[in-house]
Parts: sequence; structure tokens; C-alpha cells
Amino acid sequence: MRRAALLFRKDLRVLRRSPFLLAVLLLYPLVIAGLVGLVASYASAKPRVALVDDDILPAQITVGGRTFHVERTIDRVAQEVTLVRLEGEEAERQLRSGRIVALLRVPRGFVADLRSMARSPRLELETTRGGLSVRVTQQVQSLVYQLNRQLEDAYVEANLEYINLLVEGGTGNFLGREFDVLGLKRAEALLDELPPGPRLDRISEFVRVASAALGATDDALRATANPIELVEADDEGRTWALSAQAQSYALALTISFLALLLAAAALAAERDEGVFARLRRGLAGPGELVAAKTALAAAAAVALGLGIVLAFGAIIELGGVEGGQPWSRVPLLALGLALAGAAFGGLGALLGALARDARTASLVAILAVLPIVFLGLVPREVAPAAASVSDAFPFAHALRFFTAALFDLDPLGAAVREGAWLLGLALLFCTAARLALRRLDA
Amino acid sequence: MTTLLTARGVSRRYADLFVLEPCDLELRAGEAVALAGPNGAGKTTLLSILAGALDPTTGRVESSGRIGWAPQRPALYGKLTARENVELFARLEGVPPLPTDLPDRPAATLSVGQRQRLNLALAFLGSPRLLLLDEPTASLDPVRRQELWERLDGLCAGGGAVCFVTQDLEEVRRADRVGRVEDGRLAFR
Repeated sequence: MRRAALLFRKDLRVLRRSPFLLAVLLLYPLVIAGLVGLVASYASAKPRVALVDDDILPAQITVGGRTFHVERTIDRVAQEVTLVRLEGEEAERQLRSGRIVALLRVPRGFVADLRSMARSPRLELETTRGGLSVRVTQQVQSLVYQLNRQLEDAYVEANLEYINLLVEGGTGNFLGREFDVLGLKRAEALLDELPPGPRLDRISEFVRVASAALGATDDALRATANPIELVEADDEGRTWALSAQAQSYALALTISFLALLLAAAALAAERDEGVFARLRRGLAGPGELVAAKTALAAAAAVALGLGIVLAFGAIIELGGVEGGQPWSRVPLLALGLALAGAAFGGLGALLGALARDARTASLVAILAVLPIVFLGLVPREVAPAAASVSDAFPFAHALRFFTAALFDLDPLGAAVREGAWLLGLALLFCTAARLALRRLDA
Repeated sequence: MTTLLTARGVSRRYADLFVLEPCDLELRAGEAVALAGPNGAGKTTLLSILAGALDPTTGRVESSGRIGWAPQRPALYGKLTARENVELFARLEGVPPLPTDLPDRPAATLSVGQRQRLNLALAFLGSPRLLLLDEPTASLDPVRRQELWERLDGLCAGGGAVCFVTQDLEEVRRADRVGRVEDGRLAFR
């Protein structure tokens, strides 16, 4: 291993003397991590949904005595989608071409049904086929739920007014028809003026109990409308950008690119400089060369990874973000970074051994790392086959290791399991790289 | 005379193409052997096999003592200085480094001649008894060429040997034996 150590020190020196390459190697994966983050944000961006108003909604609608400003209400509840008003034909055309992902139609008679409070008005939804349709359906369901929440208060208020009318008596209005109600309290007063008797007592008792029962209807009616109420606490958690999950993704992404590219290019560069033939005359064998490149990748992964962790930590501490940075986990994280760097370094060394020259090796490494990363980002529940393929590469294991180290209350189990995977993959790729060097350069 | 290196039936084939037909070669103490022939004849391949930088497809090479090798294209780390290159390869070989008068700047920035001198300096590391040099005087100025030949003469006089590839007839005349390599076949005249 003395010779591997000499070559490792040489590689560090060469890297230090290549500031442009070093900057690109450090910045490129960070840029990629940022871009993937942007893409992830875009994936959760609001889908475009057409609103086709066949009923010609008025500017204001009064339901149960409460007036709703239609535009303001729609803006308030449509937070998960971008609603665009379109004519029916144009909306159908855009739905077919995919410019909008869904069409929400307000059919004729909607407002009349809404005002009547006697029949549920209907909204009609059409969606495109494919991956987004489920999500859009859920978001429109959420929109309708939000609208219902707004209306439900009005309905409850209106019903309570009817109940109050029954208790107090007076003039009411239903479906545009006015009517006069005696009311329980006025009935009780009238009963008091009648001559006493056992039958009158029974009627008076009923009126008294009914008044008391209807008086308690308020809370019961609200509870029936909301059997379970979700109370949202003030948002005191950290933003997604500073979350432990974001750190895990940033670490795994940057390490993947850096370690793979570095090891692949460094090994192929030995051949480019013509030194490989000199080394194989008993100066350093394929195993020692692969070990040196793997160690280089691991060292670079630890250095860059800890830099990212420090940067995240500084922002979190300076911003006083709740939860803080888990500093006590840094040694465990450093171990994960080293193992992930070694696994990707081994894979990079294999690519470098197969590619023959540094330019080809770098290109192949970039081409290889993208599918490896994207495979690792596919949730197992969505595509089990992709997840199984991803298990054969270090990215998903590194991601799970970092997530456990930063997130889990007791990270040891996951760290040992994923660490063993990373170590196994590192040994496997290094052995393959050694064999490739021995066979191809003999 | 002591035999420093023996090659028996060594050949090299890439896919179905023999770039070097099976051949035998002995390098004995005190002699200088030249390998000459047209471009692509197999001279560099033969020398690389003798140096252990390339595995023969058939045959084997046996040697006694340290062998120095200077490939046709200088094999150096361009980002390391001349001194650092010498120190690194000396450590890898486990021999003391030799002083060099080459400029202390990255090898990639040296002139072609200076790079060739560094290439030769690495061949001399560990004071080998046998030197295998591929076109050693290419890019060297006349003074350096003369210095090199004097050094090689001294090596042979001291019981060492040298085998070199050349295209130069003047240099061929310096050899005790000349091996002609043509179409992958080696023949001594």
C-alpha cells in the first residue's frame, strides 16, 4: 500500500495544481444539485387548469345571507392550481393539445342550485391522461373541498337562522317565499294564557324542552359539519431548502458527480501521460493504481461533503432555524461520505480502465452518473424495478445513509446497512477495475 | 559473457494481427545492441516487451538485475516538476533519487528536448546494469547526445549493456550488434 499512498499523494498534488479543473469539479456537481432542486420544484409547480363558466357566474353570490365575491373566493381557494378562464371550445382544444392539464366546468344552473341550498350544485372536471391527471384530480378535489369549507359556514349560519326562527318566531324566507312562524317562545307565551290542565302541561313541557334543545343546536350543527377539524399550527419549521432531506440530496448528488468523474479521469490520465506502462514494470500494479484513485475520490468526497454540511450548518445557525444543524452526527456523516466516495471512486476507476483516455472517461462518467442519480431518485413505490436496479449502484445507498445520519433518531441500523452496501459496492467495483486494467493493458 | 536478459519466442498479437512474430534475443554484459527498421515494424513493441511494459502474447523474458527503460514518448507526470517526477519514481522503485539540472517547473512546460532528458534520467534511476532506450537521442542537442553516448559507453565498459531503437545510421554504427526488425520479424546481421 506504500506505492498506492505515493500515487495518492501525487494525485492530490496534481489536483492542487489544476485550479480550473478543481473549481469545475467542485462547482459542477453543486450546479447540477441546484438544477435538480429546481426541476423538483417545477414538478410541484401549479398545473394550469381551465375554468369554463357556462353559468356566467355573477360578481357576487349571496348564499345563506352571506355574500361571496366570486373572483376573490376562487383566488383564495385555488392555491394549488393556476385557474385560467377560457371559453368551452378553446378549453377543449387546449386540453387535447396538453396546454392545460384539466378543465373545470361550471355548468348552467350552478348558481341557482347553490342559492337554493336544497340541491348540491355540481362542478365538472375533465383531465388529460398520464402522470399528472391523478395529481390534478387531487388538487381540484382540494379546491372543491376548500370551496365547500367556505360555503359550509354560510349553510350552517343559514340553518341556524331557521332554527332561531323556530325558537323566536318571526318572518322567514325559503325559495323566495316569505312565511310567518309563531316560534316556540311566542307559543309558550300563548300557552301560559290558556286555562291550566294536564294536556296543556304536556304541551308546555314539550315547548320548553324543544326550546332548550334547539338552543343547543349551534355547536352540534357545526360539529356535524366538521366531524374532524384540522387545526394548522403556525409554520415554525425550516424551509425545504434548509431541511435535512435537502442536505441529503445535495450531498449524494455532489458526491456522485465528483467521485465518479475524478476517479475515472484520474485513472485514464495515467494512460494519457504514458505513465501507466512505466508503472506496470513492477512499480505499481493495477490494484495499487485503483486503490490510489479510489482513495482520491473518497478524500475529495469527504472534503466537499463536509464543506456542504458546514455551509448548511452556518446558514441554519445564523438564521436561527428551528432544530439546528445536527453537528453531533458529522463524524457519522463523514464516514458515509468516505464510503460513498469510495464506492463511486471504484465505479469511476472501472470506467477509467475501460475508457482508455481521460476525455472519453470523463464523458462516459457524465453519461453514466445521470441515469444512476435519476434511478436513485425514483421512489420504490412508484417503480420497484428501477429501485432494484438502483440498488446495484451507490447513489440510493448514499442518499439513505445521509438521510439516516441527518434525520433518524437512531441512525445506527440504517447506517450499518447502507454502509455495508457502499463498502460491498466499493470492493466489487475496485475488483472489476483491477481486472479490467490487467486484461486491457497487458 | 554474462547474459543480462534472455527473450525466448516472444511475440505480440493484436486481435488477428501479429505486430511481432515470435523471436529470440539475448543481451549480454558489455554489449550495445541496436534495433533498426522502418516505422511500424515492431521495434517499440519488442523493446516494451523486453522492458516488462507490455506482456508478450507468447514466449517469456528473463533478466538479472535492474533494467532501466526510456520509452519513445516520455512517460512523465506533466503537472509535476522534473525534480518531483524523479523523486516519485525513485520512491516507487525504492532507489535514491538522482539530482537533476532541469528547470524546477511542471514537466508539461519543459521543451521537448528537456522532457526527453527527464525521460532518460528516469531510466538511469537505481543505476541499472541494462538499459532499454527507444530512440534516446531524439530531440537532444548535439552536446547532450554526446554526453549520453559517453555515459552508455561507460555502462557497457563497466559490465552493463544497452539495447536501443534508432533510425539513425550513425547511431547504428555504435552498436556491437544490429537487429533488423521488419514486418514484425527480428533478424540479426
